[in-house]
Amino acid sequence: MKLYRTSTVLVGVLFVLLGGLTRLATPERVYDSENREIVHGTIGEPLKYRDSTITVHRVKFAKAYVDDDDKPVETNGVFVAVEYETVRGTEDVGSNDASLSTDEGTEYRPVAATIIDGADFVEPGFARSGSLVFEVNSADLAGLTLNFVSLQFWTVLTQDVSVDLGVPDDKIAQQLLDTASPEYVIPKTVTRVA
Amino acid sequence: MESLDDVIDAMIADRVIHRHRRKWLIAIALVVVLAVVIFFTGGWREKKGRTVDTVDAPTTFEAGRFEFGVTSAQIIRTPKTTYDPAKARVELSYDVKNIDDEERKSTTLQGKLVLLVVGGGEDPIESNGATCRGAINWVFVYGLPAESCTTKFDVPADFTGDKLEFGFLAESHDSDIGLLGASEDPYWQNEKAAMVVRVPTTTTTETK
Repeated sequence: MKLYRTSTVLVGVLFVLLGGLTRLATPERVYDSENREIVHGTIGEPLKYRDSTITVHRVKFAKAYVDDDDKPVETNGVFVAVEYETVRGTEDVGSNDASLSTDEGTEYRPVAATIIDGADFVEPGFARSGSLVFEVNSADLAGLTLNFVSLQFWTVLTQDVSVDLGVPDDKIAQQLLDTASPEYVIPKTVTRVA
Repeated sequence: MESLDDVIDAMIADRVIHRHRRKWLIAIALVVVLAVVIFFTGGWREKKGRTVDTVDAPTTFEAGRFEFGVTSAQIIRTPKTTYDPAKARVELSYDVKNIDDEERKSTTLQGKLVLLVVGGGEDPIESNGATCRGAINWVFVYGLPAESCTTKFDVPADFTGDKLEFGFLAESHDSDIGLLGASEDPYWQNEKAAMVVRVPTTTTTETK
């Protein structure tokens, strides 16, 4: 019984070398990550998310939000509410995280009250409209972009959605802040046949 | 084809295994028994005692990606009613600010980062995160000023004290070791004790 035959050792060495080769073959960090294809779009544009779609209908700025008859919750910054609609295709959509990012590299996450903190999908063939509320720093708004990032356990090829919310610079951000409504009532989610 | 050498090798191996089988079984049984004993006697933990500074409230300090400003604490008793037993909770009032320069990311404060230090060798009690502006589990935004918040600790109904001690843990922005395939991007993890704050505490009784 010979444990280490020459061929066994050779195959082992070969695997180690192959591992090194794949390391060399990895492209330089051209993209943020190599396994994520990002679909870019703007407000009102139906964006493909696998075989489903996500459409951001409108964005509202508010000084406070109201959830379910509770007292209004205020902020030292401003609340950005994003109203969206999803239409579910037949493919599995998994779950995703929503976040807002700015040119400064800041990342905002939805407030705790909304509970679902990503785009919400229902059964295939149905559409769902929902709303996400983010508390943001009113001095850091330029380049506001909404990102839906797919959650995954294994690193495989996946797809994210990125929506430009139309705040190219501080001047437009200021206009939006000036016209911010005093209160935003979080609407109830609606499901309908697509 | 198997050679005679191979056959003899196999026979010898067989004998050796059989001759020492009882010893091996005893050794494995000993390991199992040891593990069970350690498990039931409270685990393999070293009690180190306090390794960080203790300061008096009010105080402001930084711990990981948060800045805490500790102000006051309260023991709130709920008397026994027809259907509920007597209860008590500790509420700590503090200011929390997100100072995450590394990721500039909104985040909630995990309950396990703020602890009520009971003392006497007992485990500290975890909080329930931060409740701010009446909303539980507040999401702290990088770049905004500190929020005044409270956090709750469930304590036994007969809990007393006029100067309670609260422990604050700090996370560090570290990366995992990539040798075994983990991503080497750093993230907030590895929380360690950062500060113990001694807070004057009042006791009130809540009536319905």
